Amino acid sequence: MKRAERILVLPLMAVLILGTASLFAQTGKSDIEALKKTAPKIYVDCGSCDIDYIKTEITFVNYVRDRKEAQIHILVTTLRTGGGGREYTLSFLGQNEFAGIDDVQEYYSNKTDTDDEIRMGLVNALKMGLMTYVAKTPISSRISIDYSEPEKPKAAVDKWKSWVFSLSGHAYLNGEKSYKSHSLSGSFSASRVTPDIKIGLSLSSYHNKDLFTYEGESIRSTSTTHEFEGLAVKSLSEHWSAGAFLSMNSSTYSNIRFGLTAAPAVEFNLFPYSQSTRRQLRFLYKLAFMPIRYREETIYFKTRENLWNESLSVSLELSEKWGTISTSLEGSHYFHDFSKNRLSMFGIVSLQLYKGLSIFVLGSGSRLRGQLSLAKGGASLDEILLRRRELATKYTYFFSVGFSYTFGSIFTNVVNPRFGSTGGGGMSVSIGD
Amino acid sequence: MRSKVIAGFLGILAFVAVLPASFAFGQAEVQKSDDQKKDVLRVYVDCDKCNMEFLQKEIAFVNFIKERQAAQVYVLIKTQETPEGMDYELSFSGEKEFGGIQHTLKYTAPKTDGEDAVKQGLARTLKMGLMRYAAKTPVASRIRIGLIDKVKPTDVVDKWNFWVFSASIDGFFSGQETYNSQSIYGSLTASRVTPGLKVRLSTSASYNRNTFKIEEDGIKSTIKSNSESRSFSGLVVKSIDDHWSVGAYFSAYSSTYQNIKLSLTPAPAIEYDLFPYSESTKRQLRFLYRIGFSLNRYGEETIYLKTKESLLREALEVTLELKRKWGTVSLSLEGSNYLHALKKYRLMLDTEMSIRIFKGLSFNIYGSYSKIKDQLFLARSGASLEEVLLRRRELETDFNYYFSIGFSYSFGSIYSKVVNPRFGSGGRSISIHMGG
Repeated sequence: MKRAERILVLPLMAVLILGTASLFAQTGKSDIEALKKTAPKIYVDCGSCDIDYIKTEITFVNYVRDRKEAQIHILVTTLRTGGGGREYTLSFLGQNEFAGIDDVQEYYSNKTDTDDEIRMGLVNALKMGLMTYVAKTPISSRISIDYSEPEKPKAAVDKWKSWVFSLSGHAYLNGEKSYKSHSLSGSFSASRVTPDIKIGLSLSSYHNKDLFTYEGESIRSTSTTHEFEGLAVKSLSEHWSAGAFLSMNSSTYSNIRFGLTAAPAVEFNLFPYSQSTRRQLRFLYKLAFMPIRYREETIYFKTRENLWNESLSVSLELSEKWGTISTSLEGSHYFHDFSKNRLSMFGIVSLQLYKGLSIFVLGSGSRLRGQLSLAKGGASLDEILLRRRELATKYTYFFSVGFSYTFGSIFTNVVNPRFGSTGGGGMSVSIGD
Repeated sequence: MRSKVIAGFLGILAFVAVLPASFAFGQAEVQKSDDQKKDVLRVYVDCDKCNMEFLQKEIAFVNFIKERQAAQVYVLIKTQETPEGMDYELSFSGEKEFGGIQHTLKYTAPKTDGEDAVKQGLARTLKMGLMRYAAKTPVASRIRIGLIDKVKPTDVVDKWNFWVFSASIDGFFSGQETYNSQSIYGSLTASRVTPGLKVRLSTSASYNRNTFKIEEDGIKSTIKSNSESRSFSGLVVKSIDDHWSVGAYFSAYSSTYQNIKLSLTPAPAIEYDLFPYSESTKRQLRFLYRIGFSLNRYGEETIYLKTKESLLREALEVTLELKRKWGTVSLSLEGSNYLHALKKYRLMLDTEMSIRIFKGLSFNIYGSYSKIKDQLFLARSGASLEEVLLRRRELETDFNYYFSIGFSYSFGSIYSKVVNPRFGSGGRSISIHMGG
């Protein structure tokens, strides 16, 4: 439009605008209803998010319960940061109408953040990432973006050279007339995480006492564990790392008065470490020297011995649109007797297969040849029932499978807190790191 | 014990280190106001007809610069006139650290829009397009995005009318040579949740079995122990206003743990929330009263010599839930009694709190205490030793509690954002929760 034309057109437009404005005042409500219907459909794939809060805070999208129905699949993966907080990686994966439009945003929480602060920060990152998509739908005309100038910017100068120290204690009491259980635990940890080196030291103690009263008699049962764990890892390249483990432990369950393990190790990751939040395939080799002193004489008539052990473990971790896979396989043997060996497997597979259908499998199994620490004296009946002692076995396993099929309305926009939130039954598995 | 001594020593060390920690933080907050400009996104806009002064004023969280080479984001705005109005095509192209991040947005200014509306519309589109870049700069935390209008969550096209149906089966198995455990849980659920009405129907069953192989004095024996439960539960809640709701529960269940063969309970209820329900993710103080009529049939004769009975029971529950910047608090007090004998009552206090005293020190508390005077269902025959140890039977008691308190204190480089996944992230915890 030329300038002259524009001047002529302006008064006419003013009239038109006034007209439409009054029209808007009347139909404004139904207008936003129409806009909401065409708002982007999103699937938030995040186990640790406060989803009700997200829904009440972000109202310019529609939430669906199935990933295939969504126009944007938001996959949220986390890794622990050196400061003890979390790095949230938000992968925005465009689908259907938004196929090919992908984005990645990050949000960092601090160890000192409360749940409320974390959910606010995460919602902010989600909103910003969503703008790319919302801008392509008509509801964009009703979005406001405001910016407030900072009052006093802060800059952190790290006097601690990346060292983080943590002290924690925990007490748990449980009881009724004929049963009481007390446990106490405490730990101290120090760690230093930089891209180049990772050091972690932790000291922990756990004590538990159970008391049952049965027909006037009381049955008392206790267990105690002390542990020190140390780890130092040097980064060699995007695929290689070298380091060492050092641990000391004492356990009534395993009949160990004092055990020390010193183990240099080397690791190779097939994927670059920088992709760790989405995929890892790590091979870890350890060579361990283990002097051990037992509480009671073992079935091999030892009260102390020095052992050499080597182990290789392979772990695969994938987080993708279709689900997550986390598996590991570990094999180890002692050098003084190769027939004393152990093979362990662990796996979690959680798949969102088809519309509404999801499956998860979680399992672990070990084949044991030679439990060197078993006490010759065996275990009493209550030690067996309360699982206070390690028992002779050639294998151990646990296995869990779950399957769920959901159909009906795909929208999950509504948050209705009345009469409390009735949580669904079933089994919930949460995996933390 | 050696390790205990070490623990004590490190404990003292930790407390000594606490003192300098607070000093160091006071000094660490160095003022750095001018550097803030450096953190702001540099954008070059290639557009003949744009009012750059207006855009800079509207979009204060980026710095519009005049030389293209220094830009982190290059935006090319092309215009085209169409019969409907003016089409603006905004091509965003990331440069330098944002290399490879590109996208395109369109904005159509209808002929009916005034100059001001067009300017605003273009600025809004530009803002939205810049968001994915600005989100990666420190100003991100100072940007607020929202929808101007209030909108109902039910404004969607939904052929199922908000009904959701779900079926699930879960199993859990573990064992070794002398011990194994099996649990199976299945459920069917139908629900419809809208702001005006909440309906939830669910039926579930669970089965649990433990087997122990024992060898005592050369005699081998096997101890088996089972428990099972089945339940149906229904809930309907009608919203009256932002503070009041009415509804009803219906439940039918059986449980070997509680010696109940079948218990049927319809219970109408009413709830008042002191805070508006719309603030429920931030705070709630709910009072829920319900009165239920139960028809019970017991597995074995009870200590009161009953094999079946019908009971009327009322309950009042007060729940406080807060989720604030300083922490989370959940506190609930529930009292109930049977109407035929007011002395048969139960009082339960439940709490869960996670509170930050200051940055670095936080407390976690959870616990529950119940005063129990209403175990009408206890079997007269009692429980065996295995049932006691494996907690397979509810036992006679006047009270029941669990309490947990934990604290965590951290100092040092607690704001470090470094991620180093080498040698794994140091063990993972898996928690499995089963039940309805």
